[in-house]
Amino acid sequence: MIDPITIVLITLGGVLVGLGVHFIPVGGAPAAMAQATGVGTGTVQLAAGAGLTGLISAGFMYNELATSAGLSSSNMILVMASGAVGSMIMITVTMFIGQLIYVYGVGVPPVSAKVKKDPITGDVQDIYVSKGTEGHGVPTVSFVSGTIGGLLGGLGGSLIYIQLMNIGGDHTNSGIVALAGIFATGVFYVNSVIASYNIGGTIEGFHDPKFKRVPKAIVSCLIASLLCAIIAVPIMGGVS
Amino acid sequence: MTDPIIMDMGIVALAGALATIAGAAEDLESDVGSQSNPNSQVQLAAQMNYPHRIFNKAISGEPVSYGLFCAAGGTMASVLIAKEMSVIFAIAIGAFIAALVLALFSITAHLGRCASQKRFKQPIYMDMVTGHIPVIMGHGFIAVFCIVSFSYIMDHFMGHPFPLPLLALLWGITAGAIGSSTGDVHYGAEREFQQQEFGAGLNAAFSGNIVRKAESGLRNGMDNVWACAKFGGPLTGLALGLTVFLDNWRSTIFSGMDSVPGSINAIITGLIIVLILILANRLVEVKARKAYGPYKEDTGGVAA
Amino acid sequence: MSTAAGGPASGGISPNNIVVLGVVGGLAGIYLTMLNQTLDTTIFSFLGGIGAIFAAVWGADAVRRVCSYGLGTGVPSIGMLALGMGIVAAMFGLALPESDLVTLPNFLGPIISFITASIMGLIIGIMANKILKMNIPIMEKSMVEIAGAGCLVMIGLSVVIVGDFRFDEGIVPGVITTGYIALVFIGGAMAMLHPFNACLGPDERQYRTLTVGVEKTALMMVLVGVASLTEINAVSSALTIVIGLIIFVVYFKKFLEATHHDAYLITGTGLLPTEEELE
Repeated sequence: MIDPITIVLITLGGVLVGLGVHFIPVGGAPAAMAQATGVGTGTVQLAAGAGLTGLISAGFMYNELATSAGLSSSNMILVMASGAVGSMIMITVTMFIGQLIYVYGVGVPPVSAKVKKDPITGDVQDIYVSKGTEGHGVPTVSFVSGTIGGLLGGLGGSLIYIQLMNIGGDHTNSGIVALAGIFATGVFYVNSVIASYNIGGTIEGFHDPKFKRVPKAIVSCLIASLLCAIIAVPIMGGVS
Repeated sequence: MTDPIIMDMGIVALAGALATIAGAAEDLESDVGSQSNPNSQVQLAAQMNYPHRIFNKAISGEPVSYGLFCAAGGTMASVLIAKEMSVIFAIAIGAFIAALVLALFSITAHLGRCASQKRFKQPIYMDMVTGHIPVIMGHGFIAVFCIVSFSYIMDHFMGHPFPLPLLALLWGITAGAIGSSTGDVHYGAEREFQQQEFGAGLNAAFSGNIVRKAESGLRNGMDNVWACAKFGGPLTGLALGLTVFLDNWRSTIFSGMDSVPGSINAIITGLIIVLILILANRLVEVKARKAYGPYKEDTGGVAA
Repeated sequence: MSTAAGGPASGGISPNNIVVLGVVGGLAGIYLTMLNQTLDTTIFSFLGGIGAIFAAVWGADAVRRVCSYGLGTGVPSIGMLALGMGIVAAMFGLALPESDLVTLPNFLGPIISFITASIMGLIIGIMANKILKMNIPIMEKSMVEIAGAGCLVMIGLSVVIVGDFRFDEGIVPGVITTGYIALVFIGGAMAMLHPFNACLGPDERQYRTLTVGVEKTALMMVLVGVASLTEINAVSSALTIVIGLIIFVVYFKKFLEATHHDAYLITGTGLLPTEEELE
């Protein structure tokens, strides 16, 4: 009844979520006042928003592709990719519109104060930083980093959802669908918050020195997701 | 006999339009009450001897609070639909109850935060509560009505497997995340500190020194939302609308094909959209750097 | 989302008393709904809501104690962590007696959920201090409390909807398939994290914060009472709604009185304090 592969995959999903949170550029309260680089919100909030949009896409696609025998492995990749793309669209649209507000509403060029040159475009950063701030806006490196974060978060969330649905067995039973959905949401939040505690609230992306803390988050998310997986599997199997 | 895809695309467009209105209303509602991240400056203002008449609505992050209001609205609507009420009435009454919940949370937040700043001599003005709460309720009603509506559309017309309250919860969280990331910056960096020069981030030395005296009289949340409705609100609406529209459009447009090739095409379309956005962001970045140039200290010039 | 200054929040009812109140009150409320099954009625469903109120007050106090240390990410995150753990543990405990893994009597469900949530909270609290090096002295104890309280709030509010905490007979068809679990999930989270977040500030007082906790959970009780209209008969739902409204009104008035007592000045309208007044 307790299939080890499912537990491993759910744990992997949780770790991907935690890892994705580290890529999303979030500046917290200072960024909302154009005092720090990144999107002006909290890590958990944006990561959760992106991942849950991915969950909605994945839920849709699962029902499209599933047959009474569950989901084949190739279709599983399609559902995961669909969730990842849904999450990526949400986060890129958000970052892009946020960028428009920084550039045209506040009147600042996007720039980071933590690197001398943007690793991807090679643009000089420090002369464009406003005095008294730590950077502002969403420079290209943060944007690309955020896209990767959305990809990982969406992949992780969809993977968790698929595994739970596969154990549940019957994709036409709305009880199983809702249970898998709310479970995936719960596991998603646990991993996002642990990753956010690791970061300490704000991060600019993979070029940020704080990014080196990733291994600690992977270990913590692994343990937390393993716990949730061991607990979730008997429940989904036991739902009639 | 019209091609069924026309109906489907019409529904996708309707969902996108509802999401746009919802996003704008959600952001404006958070600007009236100064919710989420800019609220840290409002909180700081009192501590730094700048008492103010801004509504201090500290209801946690927008995603969580909008998740609650939309889930409440969606649940009430679900109950009424199950009791055979017309769908639009059910969603309207659900949104009204959600707006009431929003009002109750706002009142406790403002009173609680201001009362806990006794030592900084921040007064509680009751006319702030009676004046701002109906505005907050109005914006909240529009936002929740639209979000629950397009969740209902996704549920019943597009065939999404999640039940309505759960779908409303997830979209409420997403709407809150988008509103918190985009429109709140216009409020926080621009309107809240309008006495600073346009064209720079907020210097940390000015933290807490928010605008408290308005164009005529003392500034409050209504003045703030009046300004943010010109730019921040509509852009937030655009963000949520694009998210909902693009996500549904890319799957609906291939719905005539078989499931597997259709899904692959939808994924490829999504990736192309993401690439276009990355390039667009780069374009905006280059334009901004060229237009604004490196940071220059303010050397005299005309005071605003 | 701002954080308070470092240092423990204190005053009022002692933490241990609140823990006892939360655990005993919460579990009692949930288990007293078993009267529904013995008397073949649904009229006692509201007791689940009363249990949820006790558990939420306990949770709000635990949030208050740990957030005073300055977590760096704000109050909402810890609420979502608690509810994420709470929902997973709650479902596990309620489902376990009915799955084929072990044979257990049904009524042990809530206790198993509570113990599972506490263990999860303990593990995550230990990880936060040892692996993530957050170095908050009361982290492990607070995490156990918050997870346990979150779990009890969820079960309490779910039982209000269906009157029965057995998984296959009550919770799945009534709470999960209909989707009301979404409201229970986020309502429970907000009931626990809103009180401290709303009253954040240097002059925060435990009594005022906890009255917010009671009235918000009572508000949630009213909402799930309306949701229960589709699951149990109208009289039981009406009873839940009326009791929830009464508790809400009483405690909202207490909150207003406490605000009048605590605030610097409450006035109809007026200008800002002058420079001399601020000295």
